[in-house]
Amino acid sequence: MNEAVKNVKLHLVVLALVVVSELIGIVTFKVGPGKLVLLPMLYAMFIGIFLGPKFFKIVKEKDMFQASTLVGLTLLLLMARYGTLVGPKFYEILKAGPALVLQEFGNIATLVIGVPIAMYLGLKREAIGAAHSIAREPNVALIGDIYGLDSAEGRGVMGVYICGTVFGTIFFGLMASFLAAFEIFHPYALAMASGVGSASMMTASVGSLSAAYPAMAEQIQAFGVASNTLSGIDGVYMSLILALPMSNKLYNYIYKLKYKTAPEAV
Amino acid sequence: MTKQQNLVESIAVLALVSVMVLIGNQAGFDNNIIEALPGMAILLLLCIAGVATNMFVFKKIPSVLFVITYGVIVSLPGFPLSETVNAYVAKVHFLALTTPILAYAGVAIGKDLETFKKSGWRIVIVSTFVMVSTYIGSAAIAQSVLKFMGDI
Repeated sequence: MNEAVKNVKLHLVVLALVVVSELIGIVTFKVGPGKLVLLPMLYAMFIGIFLGPKFFKIVKEKDMFQASTLVGLTLLLLMARYGTLVGPKFYEILKAGPALVLQEFGNIATLVIGVPIAMYLGLKREAIGAAHSIAREPNVALIGDIYGLDSAEGRGVMGVYICGTVFGTIFFGLMASFLAAFEIFHPYALAMASGVGSASMMTASVGSLSAAYPAMAEQIQAFGVASNTLSGIDGVYMSLILALPMSNKLYNYIYKLKYKTAPEAV
Repeated sequence: MTKQQNLVESIAVLALVSVMVLIGNQAGFDNNIIEALPGMAILLLLCIAGVATNMFVFKKIPSVLFVITYGVIVSLPGFPLSETVNAYVAKVHFLALTTPILAYAGVAIGKDLETFKKSGWRIVIVSTFVMVSTYIGSAAIAQSVLKFMGDI
């Protein structure tokens, strides 16, 4: 890491990306019941990708490699802020009922469904990063810490993180309207499911549900916010203790079935 | 490399990124650099504490876990100075913190662009399944528990 810290050119390039992206600012498009959201971080990343030797030739292989060694550490500042978003609401969450707490375990469904599908599509270790969770910031930071973000697992989690950031609000908005229309689940159950650790996804889902059930709007919003905060608290623990080990087990099992040989040790 | 050097380097990187966040925070969210400085310093200290815990105390547990947990603790209602902490960190916009990370990540991804191109469409499909399954999984559990408790 030593060399990466001293790479002044890299840091100046990143600073330029930050300033340009922030000046462009947040751009939103209304699409159906949700919004397509373009955030400064997406411009910074997108421009950054094309600075390499094949395109703008501003950064070299060495710079790209050194950048990858720094990403994990930079994520920590975001995580500190994340913690301070959760703290003030901590006691409210303790008062939440059993349904609200237990539904958190529904988040494990991502790996039960996602890992087999990812592997069916031909992904290997990317499947672990992509499907062990809904890939919000704490999950990205955790994968970065354990595997490194330039590993296969890191590519998986970053991919889903970016898809979620761009399309998440539209997707959750539509999904909530759709499920509300089918009336399989009670609106309270759907409200509790809305909180996955992303304020924008939760807002979109709760928005659709409140529009569908205006009489219950207040309760729906309270459940949504509470479950989202709860996911914020337990997300990283759930990933480390439960979801990652389970994803790895499932991965090894399917790997043997599919490729008839044991996966190479990680 | 000794541990102390490693910690010093981590602090150097974190401090450097903090400066970038302050600049981006001013450019994008109109939060004055000087006003955001104490909040940024608090976040920096939380990170250093988390990294140090991982380096010197619990080596097997990722530092991410400590950083989040420390962040929760210092902002808990009733924790000494938590209101001051909350007021200061509020000046550092959450999104301003994401931009430098993704800028570094973008530069780094440049070298793996081929791999991304190959797996990109698969990841998009996986993300849709991930979003649907967490939603339905949680809704199904909530529904059963609410039914069981007689709340609905």
